[in-house]
Parts: sequence; C-alpha cells; structure tokens
Amino acid sequence: MNTTSASAAATPQPFFITPAEVFSEFSHHHPSVARINNGGLGCCPSSLISSQRQIQLQWLRQPDEFFFNQLQPGMLRSRNVIKDLINADHVDEVSIVDNASTAISIVLQHMAWGFAEGKFHSGDATVMFHCAYGAVKKSVEAYFVRAGGYVIEVPLPFPVNSDDEILQEFRQALEKAKQNGRSVRLAIIDHVTFMPTVVMPVKQLVSICREAGIDHVFIDAAHGIGCVDVDMKQIGADFYTSNLHKWLFCPPSAAFLYCRKSNQSSALHHPVVTHQYGNGLATESSWIGTRDYSAQLVVPKILEFVNRFEGGIDGIKRRNHDAVVDMGEMLAKAWGTHLGCPPHMCSSMVMVGLPACLHVSSDQDSSKLRTYLRGKFGVEVSIYYRPPKDGEVGPLTGYARISYQVYNKLLLLLLWFIDISGKYLSLLQPKATTLPLSH
Amino acid sequence: MQHEYPRNGESTHPSSKKPKLSSKFITESDIRDEFSHHQQRVARINNGSYGSCPNSVLTAQRHWQLQFLRQPDAFYFNVLRDGITASREIIKDLINADHVDEVSLVDNATTAAAIVLQRIGRSFAEGKFQKNDTVLMLHCAFQAVKKSIQAYVTRAGGSVIEVRLPFPVNSEEEIISEFKKSIEEGKSNGRKIRLAIIDHITSMPSVVIPVKELVRICRAEGIEQVFVDAAHAIGSVKVDVKEVGADFYVSNLHKWFFCPPSIAFLYCKKSTSSSDLHHPVVSHEYGNGLPIESAWIGTRDYSSQLVVPAVLEFVNRFEGGIDGIMKKNHDEVVKMGKMLAESWGTNLGSPPEMSAAMIMVGLPSRLCLDSEEDAVMLRSHLRDRYEVEVPIFHQVSVDREEGVRDKDGFITGYLRMGKLAKCFIRNEKAVIKVGAGFHGITSVFCRLLMRAAFTVFKESYKRGAKSSAEELELLTNVI
Repeated sequence: MNTTSASAAATPQPFFITPAEVFSEFSHHHPSVARINNGGLGCCPSSLISSQRQIQLQWLRQPDEFFFNQLQPGMLRSRNVIKDLINADHVDEVSIVDNASTAISIVLQHMAWGFAEGKFHSGDATVMFHCAYGAVKKSVEAYFVRAGGYVIEVPLPFPVNSDDEILQEFRQALEKAKQNGRSVRLAIIDHVTFMPTVVMPVKQLVSICREAGIDHVFIDAAHGIGCVDVDMKQIGADFYTSNLHKWLFCPPSAAFLYCRKSNQSSALHHPVVTHQYGNGLATESSWIGTRDYSAQLVVPKILEFVNRFEGGIDGIKRRNHDAVVDMGEMLAKAWGTHLGCPPHMCSSMVMVGLPACLHVSSDQDSSKLRTYLRGKFGVEVSIYYRPPKDGEVGPLTGYARISYQVYNKLLLLLLWFIDISGKYLSLLQPKATTLPLSH
Repeated sequence: MQHEYPRNGESTHPSSKKPKLSSKFITESDIRDEFSHHQQRVARINNGSYGSCPNSVLTAQRHWQLQFLRQPDAFYFNVLRDGITASREIIKDLINADHVDEVSLVDNATTAAAIVLQRIGRSFAEGKFQKNDTVLMLHCAFQAVKKSIQAYVTRAGGSVIEVRLPFPVNSEEEIISEFKKSIEEGKSNGRKIRLAIIDHITSMPSVVIPVKELVRICRAEGIEQVFVDAAHAIGSVKVDVKEVGADFYVSNLHKWFFCPPSIAFLYCKKSTSSSDLHHPVVSHEYGNGLPIESAWIGTRDYSSQLVVPAVLEFVNRFEGGIDGIMKKNHDEVVKMGKMLAESWGTNLGSPPEMSAAMIMVGLPSRLCLDSEEDAVMLRSHLRDRYEVEVPIFHQVSVDREEGVRDKDGFITGYLRMGKLAKCFIRNEKAVIKVGAGFHGITSVFCRLLMRAAFTVFKESYKRGAKSSAEELELLTNVI
C-alpha cells in the first residue's frame, strides 16, 4: 500500500500514486476488456474493497454491538464527508441512499402525497428533459402521473453546440405550460444527461425555474460527483442526488440525496419505513432494516484513495475530461464524424459519432452493436441511437458514449478502438462505401 | 476430532465415546470453522435479531461480488437475472409456493411491509378505500411495521385495530379467542377491515402464533387481505404458504437461514390485486411484475440474493438438512430455557410447542425491571460487562392481579433466548455466562437468591462433564 496515503488529507502530497499502483488497484478488472463505460456501473479500487470487507466482518462478528455502537456514528461520518465535498450548509441536508433511483422515488413519493393531500391539483405538471433516465421516467409515471400529475417533456437538442440551445428549449417549454394554465410543481433536471451524455447548464436552468415560480427543483446528478463540479450553494436546487459508485470509487452502492433546509424538506420520507420514521430523512435513511451498510460506511476511505492522485478528485476530474476529449476527437477525426457536443459540455464522457456505414437505425441496432463489441472485441461501450429529425439529410444516427477513468490507458484504448472498428467495418464491407479509417 | 466439550450432558470418558460419525455430515469442528469470524468470547444468544452467516456462504458471496466488479456490464446483462431466478426457484420449493412468479426477493421484511402498505395507501388516495377503513395488527407487531402503518395507512385516513395478545401465554386458544374478539370490535361501527397483519413468530415477546387458524378466521370474517409477517420463520419453523393460506407472506433469510445481510422473500398469492404491487424504488422494470421490479432496483450489490444455492448446500451438510437444524435448535433452546427458569424459580413465556428457535424466560422479580429503559440498560450491561448478547423484554402489567409471580414478586422482565444449536459457544458456557451476568447485576439485591441459582448451575454442570479450570474460576468468582 502507498505509505504516503496516511498523510494525504493533511499535507501536500509529495509522492503520488504510480501507474503500477493504479494498475494494481484495478487488477480485479477483466484484463482483456477495454472498459470505456464507467458511466454505466462505475468502478471500485481494491483498497476500498478491502476497507469495505473489514466493515462487513465487523458487523458479522457482533452485529448487535455494531448496530448499537458503530452504525450511526459511521453513517454520520460519511454524511459529513459528503457535506464538505458538495458544499452543503448542514449535515442534516445530506441523506445517504442506495442510488439515484432511490432518491428520485423519495422525492416523487413526496409529490404524490401532495396530490393525495390536496396541496396539488389534478393536471399540475412536472417538467423534465425527454432524455431523462428511464428509471426516472418510470418513477414519474408510478408516483406523479398516477397521482394525477401531468408531464411536460423538453426536447434536448442533440448534437448540441451551446448551453443557449438547451436554455432556449427549456424556456419555451415553460412558456407553453404557462399559456396552457398549468402549474409546474416540479422540475427534474439532469446535471449530466445519461444518453446522450451532455453537461447541462444547471445553474442557469435552476434560475429559470425560480423566475417561473416552480415549486421544487430536483437535480438528477447520477453522474455528478467525481465527474463534474458539485456545489450545492452555487447550483441552488431544492434536491440534488448523485451516485458515489459511478465516479467516486465507492463500492456498490451508495448515493447521497441533498435536501435544502426548508419547511418541505422535513416532510420527505424514505419509502422503507422503520422505527426511525419521523426523525428526518437523513436518520430514516441510515436505518432501513437489517442490511449491509458497508458501502455507505466506507465513504471516508474514499478521500484517502482520491488524495493519492495529484490534485485529488479535482485533478482526477480534469485529467479524465482532457483524456476523454482527446480520445473522442481522435476517433471522430479517424472516422470522419464529430463529437455530440463541444468539449466544455463534456464531462468524463463524450459522445462520438459512429460512421454512417454502421447503419445504426434503431435502439435495437445500438443494443446489438454493443453486444457485438463486447462479445467479439472485448470492448464495453454504450451505443446511442439518435433518431433523424424531419428534413435532415444524412445525419449521424449512431454515437458511442466513451468514458475515461483512472484505470484506462489512453493510447492503448485508442489503438484498440481504431483496430477493432477497422475489423468491424471490414466485416460490413458490402454495406460500406468508403472506409474512413487509415492506420 | 471427537467432541471437545460435553454436549447435552454426555460424558467424554474415553470408554463412553461414541463410534466416529461418518464424514457424511458436518462436524463440530467444521461448524466452529464456519463461524470462526464470530467474536469468540461473546455468548451470542440473540440470533433472532440479525442472524448469522457461515464462512462458506460468505466466500460464495465474495465470488459474486468480484464477478460484478470484474465486468459489471456483462454481469448485468448475462448473469444477474438468472442468478436471482435460481434463488427464487429454490425458495419457491422451500415454501411450497405454486409458481416462481409468486416469489420476489427484497432486502428484508421491513421492505416487504412497505410494499404491501404502500398499496393500501394508494387505495385510500385513489378512493378505492373509504376513510376509516381499517387495518388490523397485533399489538406486539414489530415497531417498523407499526410505523409503516402510520406512514401509509393512518396518514391516508385509515384506522388501525390492535389485537392485544396475552403474555405469558398458555395455549393457542388464548390467542385465537383474543383475535376473534378484536375482529368483532373492529367491525363494529360498520368499519371494513381491508388488511390483517399477523406475525407468524412475534418478535418481542417471541411466541409462535397459530397463523393457519387466524388466516382462516380472517377469511370467515370477510377481511379482504391477510399479510403474514414471518420475519423469523424460514429456518425456524415449517413454512408452507399454501397451508397458511395468506395473500402475502414475508420472511427474512438472513435471520435463521444463514444468508448474509440481507435478503428476504415476499410471497404474493396470484390474484388480480397482486399485479398492482410495486417496489417503492422504481426502475425501468416498473410494470413488469413485482419479482422483476425487485430484481433490479438500480445499481447495488445483489450478492446476498444470489447465494441462496450455496446456503442450501450448507444446510444440507447437517443431518436432516434444515428440518434437522430446526428441530435441534428448538430442542436445545427449550432445554436451556427450562434450565434457567427452574434455576431462577421463574417461568417460560409460552409452552414449548409455541416456541421455535427462541424462547422467553422470565427474569427474577428481584431485578425490579420496571420500564423499557431498565430493559435496555440491562441488555447493554450484559453486553459490555459480561459479553452476553441477549434481548430483554419488559412486560407491562395490565392487571397486577393476573400477573405471574415468582416467590418474591411479579415477573416483569423476560429474556429472549435464541441461538443456533452448536453453532457458537456451547450451551453450558452460555448459560453460565447468562447466569453470571444476572448475578453480577443483582448482587446488590439478592445475593441469597443467586447463590442458590448458582449452586444449581454448578451441580448441573458437574453432572454434565469435566469443567475447565477457567470455568470453575468463573463460577467461584460470581458467588
């Protein structure tokens, strides 16, 4: 183990983690898979897995003692670490839950009660982008629509060239709602959209919501922490959730739900009710029956890990961003395509247009291509089908969402990708016109 | 290796050693290895709360965890769903359900209660139920279930009937009679009982409830649906969901069925309403049925739900499998409970046939346990000072005239003894520790009584076998 890790947080780090140590930390990854889908299910280094095991063993050793003496203080420590990372005012504003899906269910259940208890009226609306995560859309259906609410979907322009294009669409959707006399009770905004992936101008979107008098603003930042800058006071939303296991190296699974202190925030409840019911969401969430809380208790150890890297988590974010943009641009050049958005709207992930000759013309095609790349070439990458709009001539309909995390090796990945895409395209030879590759 | 310690009073004199058992079944040494991660000095007689998990199952769990971490996307697409289905198939057979679609895996009984009650809440909100329609539960229902009723039923305008169960209890008829009375009261004023929540084995105080009969009564009385909270059941009593006949039945597998934390099954009898049950954490699987919804509730560690096949392998290493384990647990806990009750001149909270792997033992009245706080303090003291982990129940005296007495006064406290036979510290050591614990605490109050108790312990121990020097010292110290 890196002996300098002990002094990580307190003093400037003279010796940073070496590439060999990084390799060792992720040696449990499948050695022959080019893993460029970190945005999907995240990753966790060996040292954190070991720390997590120790916690699991402590529980198994004497669970009653652990429950009475260690669990709550441990959860509070984790929450305090997160509070500092996200610049929240008070630790009471920070609850730890399993994942962003759980967080959205909590907020939407609260909305459903609003309808049931007469605070909201049938037809009151929620506004969200059309590319919101599938589970979020289903949660809206299960809780909000079922209770009588209405959904306004805002199209996300893609490919997109500037923040203004997004802001304009959002303003238009709210204007239309106003004209139709709809009360918008909740805005659900992604910080980093899932598919296609784009960094949204959340601060400005929240301002627009406030101007329009929207009751609650919820930011779904599943990809937020460890990927983009996360500052609760700056963003100014009512609710903000982010997974820690995607980009912050936590084992599966842990996420935080930030709820800005207000009259409303005390009325949120975890849907799994225990004897802690009524003691505030943060306390309710830290005990939802007998289960393994080790992933949530290991959070303080994450800081030790990230601080072994130069610049800590900020350094990691910056290097990931630079590397993935480099990769994306090289691939786009090699294929004669383009990126889905400008670099400043990319996080640690980027959308790279796939050559048209791949004929990705449906969601099914994109799934098939993904499976094929996994099975045949050992490449794990998410593929996105972008439906053509009316009147468009020869648009790109397929994009690869590539990601970069500390365990990736840029040059190797590029060579690999270009190599396999060459092989793949040659397999499609009858369909191809001109192979764009040259290497 | 032959028995190192006497079991059940057997002599370890070489000439009386039994012939070496075939290696077909798990040995005591194997068992010690399987639970070597337990804190050795602690007399762990509270298996009912958080359960236990053997090393071989933990190893299987790690294997699943590493598989996920190795290539999570491939795991999600190719491995996870089949693994969960395999676990559900095993459980379906264990509980005698008709179809695997009736079996969902969730984290714990608390989650299952939230699923069932959330639906009740929706029914009120959507006008299917009227204000003041009722949910019936036992007064000793688990606290989380009570809070869940508050969160979903009371908040939505429903009312609650509590059935007051007698305790200590002497027969199933006492429970059945109280239950019928409460239903009558509940139905007065024209209230409709929409759901009855019945424990199979109550938590505190712990008693095995005649669920089959109570479910039958519910049906006869026109109660719409019945939910059996059997958190403690599987691995502790026989579970036959068709025989019990409830609409919903939940049990934790991490309590008495050796699974790691945490996993429970929620059985939902096939019907029109069962399709309207949803997991409160909504994913893209919403609408595909509760078993499928529950099998993916976002990115998390599902490994504890995948190890059920490994658990089955483990229990089948015991003679008689899970049935054999259940019988041994029951026999030993009853024996231990009787031993303590006799030593103290107190009582058992229920007859042996109404206990499974846990039993309530009356505490000497001289302990003067007057409140819930006293019970919590006693428990902490036993843990910290005597390394005994045992939950303590404070019995509120409803009518002092009818309370149970020992020779010094009313019995107001019970301990809940629940341990896995052979799995941890051996019986006698646990009993001595428990006795020592109580002696230490009560030494201010009743030296005479506890001295008598320990005389009894010493005698029974001597009859059992040789004591180690350490144990004699322990005995001498406490008197």
